[in-house]
Amino acid sequence: MSTETQTEDVGQRGIVERLRASPFLSELLSNRLAVAGLTIIFAMVAIALYSRLFVDLGSVTQSQIGTNPNLAPPSWLSKKTAITGEYGTFAYPFGTDIQSRDIFSRVLYGTWLAMKYGTITVGASTLLGVGLGILAAYYGDITDNVIMRTMDVLLAFPSLLLALALVAIFGTGLWKVVIALTLVYTPRFARVVRGAALKVLEDEYIEATEALGAKDPRVIVRHILPNCLAPITVQSTLNFGLAIIDLAALSFLGFGAEAGTPSWGLMLSNGVKNGLLTGDWWWSFFPGLFLAITVLGFNLLGDGMRDALDPRMRETVD
Amino acid sequence: MISKRFVIKRLLLLVPVLFGVATFVFAILHLAPGDPARVIAGQRASEEFVRQVRTELGLNDPIWVQYGRFLLEAVQLEFGNSYQIQKGTPVKQILRYKLPVTLEMALYGQFLGILFGIPVGLLGAIKQDAISDHVTRIGALAGISVPIYWSGPLLILLFAQVLGWFPASGRIASTFDINPITGVITFDTLVRGNFAAFESAAMHLFLPAAVIGIYSMALISRMMRSSMLEVIRQDYMRTARAKGQGSKITILKHGFRNALIPVVTVIGIQFGTLLGGAVLTETVFGIAGIGTLLVSAIQVGDYPVVQGTVLMFAGLFTLVNLLVDVTYSYLDPRIEQ
Amino acid sequence: MRSGDSTDSDYSPRGEEASGGDRTRDDSPTPRERARQLGRALLLGAMLAAIAVPILVASGESVRFASEKVFAVGALVFGFSLLGWSGSVFAGRGMENFQRHIGGRSDWSEADSRRAMTVLGSVGVGGMLGASLATMVVGSVV
Repeated sequence: MSTETQTEDVGQRGIVERLRASPFLSELLSNRLAVAGLTIIFAMVAIALYSRLFVDLGSVTQSQIGTNPNLAPPSWLSKKTAITGEYGTFAYPFGTDIQSRDIFSRVLYGTWLAMKYGTITVGASTLLGVGLGILAAYYGDITDNVIMRTMDVLLAFPSLLLALALVAIFGTGLWKVVIALTLVYTPRFARVVRGAALKVLEDEYIEATEALGAKDPRVIVRHILPNCLAPITVQSTLNFGLAIIDLAALSFLGFGAEAGTPSWGLMLSNGVKNGLLTGDWWWSFFPGLFLAITVLGFNLLGDGMRDALDPRMRETVD
Repeated sequence: MISKRFVIKRLLLLVPVLFGVATFVFAILHLAPGDPARVIAGQRASEEFVRQVRTELGLNDPIWVQYGRFLLEAVQLEFGNSYQIQKGTPVKQILRYKLPVTLEMALYGQFLGILFGIPVGLLGAIKQDAISDHVTRIGALAGISVPIYWSGPLLILLFAQVLGWFPASGRIASTFDINPITGVITFDTLVRGNFAAFESAAMHLFLPAAVIGIYSMALISRMMRSSMLEVIRQDYMRTARAKGQGSKITILKHGFRNALIPVVTVIGIQFGTLLGGAVLTETVFGIAGIGTLLVSAIQVGDYPVVQGTVLMFAGLFTLVNLLVDVTYSYLDPRIEQ
Repeated sequence: MRSGDSTDSDYSPRGEEASGGDRTRDDSPTPRERARQLGRALLLGAMLAAIAVPILVASGESVRFASEKVFAVGALVFGFSLLGWSGSVFAGRGMENFQRHIGGRSDWSEADSRRAMTVLGSVGVGGMLGASLATMVVGSVV
């Protein structure tokens, strides 16, 4: 890798080069746990895309009673599958639920839903947080104080209870839950961005640019945003896991996905309420397993990223 | 060391807290879609009847009049009667029996979390980068990654379904009929001297408390580890070691108390998360506490119950943090009150 | 008793790198400045609400609906700031110490937080007042 040629062209260095030149990436890649997290995330994204393209939405949302065996255990576990009569096949690797739907396909499709709504939630709160954080850092004084203390108070609320309060205002449904969680997560990003932006603003070169008459937006886009990128990425990664957990939690409580949607939270809810005490454990086990693995992936990567960042940033991102 | 004045001042702060929560809840109730009069009257009630209910509730008054009345009632902790969940029952009375249920579960869970979290974190800090450290760190990360609504069912599956050691849900075996005194079931059964019932209640409590405990243990041990490492790195520790005052024992003696300070703060702040988690834990284990009460009240639009429950949550959170504050002054005498 | 008794004037910015050079609120404002600040916040809230009510009515909602929702938004802000204010006083000392412990790079301070919450609360109260006044005016016109 020729870092030499890239550093020559300092003025034109893009984000990718910056990352490559910094010790960040190499340190990250030497962290085995972070690499494991990255692998998990890649696998889950692949599963999400696969299921979006190839899993038939009708077969995972509508009742399949009559077509599939009802509440069949994972087929490789049962001695005889109800339909084919063969031993140890993989017809229903995760079993079927009370409406005879194949849990395997549902869990796969749930990966797509989790990734989709997780991305939207985290993306939206990143945007809001970047806006508020830069606003606070740029204008300083009372604007800064009111914005950031408000964010602090919001942060002090337990996220699930705050989300419940917002859901009570907005009403229920997956999109409303996404809006509620977006607002819940915004303070984290605002804090990180403000911290990073302040550091940039302190630097002399900004003052120099300002003296040369650069207008506000240019300063922000050219100097502040690129410098916030690393902490934002770490925060987004850590937050992604939380978003998946909270999205599923609100569906679990009955505020999110509507009946029939193959979302992990809803599957867990039905499986726990109706299947756990009757011994149909697979109904809730597999959605939860996928959820936990995905979240673990994001947490491992986020943790590794935080460690790879320089120590000053380590304190900002939290 | 902890003056009475200090505690009283803190307790007085409960007034703006509850005033704030009441205003907050008032706002939420009036921003929420849906008509409370319709909820009370029922879906099939005639338009005329709904109008009548609306007048009775004072919903036709100007909003600022409603706000004033709402505050007056909230100050007297008068939340009115339940619209739907236990129609006509005063919210106060409902809370009286639901609150101890949640509190009992949360406190046992928190206790388990502290009991295991602190030693695990300490061990990680002292034997930094040993295998045990890595194992506990990954374990803690996994503890945070696994949501309560999955770890709960897993425990039920293993300990209730497969092994049959603990019951899967509820608070006590249905064969016992305990007349509540405080509502804290492990306490009531003991006071009444019914040890068989106590055993049953304790067995029922174990799994939910363990689930909460695992989660808070993960957080506490992580904080304990980093805080202890921080203390070890500090100068006076190095000096102490240079003076040859042992090493491990010095660390424990001097460092532990200092390292506990941020951990105690985390425990206080995290209690809110724990109450939020109680909503899920109660759902998983079929326990009728204020968590499940809140969820169903929001679902059906039973606003007086929502209001009472949220005020309860806020009050509890404040009280726990008062305790944290007191502990704090005890741990760090340098902080003058 | 640090957190309970400290008035705004005894607030001194923690030097170091706290919140960035000249951007720190170096000198705490005089009471008059603060009153003016609160007045402005009150006015801002009142104006926002007074604009919002007629807009909602013009967009076809009933006066009752507009009044209720706008007032409630004001109350939401007010209630939130009350919680934030008491929370700052309550957890203030703990948080400040906590941050000193974990490295002190964050710039949270109890006095700052309380000040921000009073400004926010004024906006909320202004909103509630503005909504009420606007309702009376709009109600008498419509």
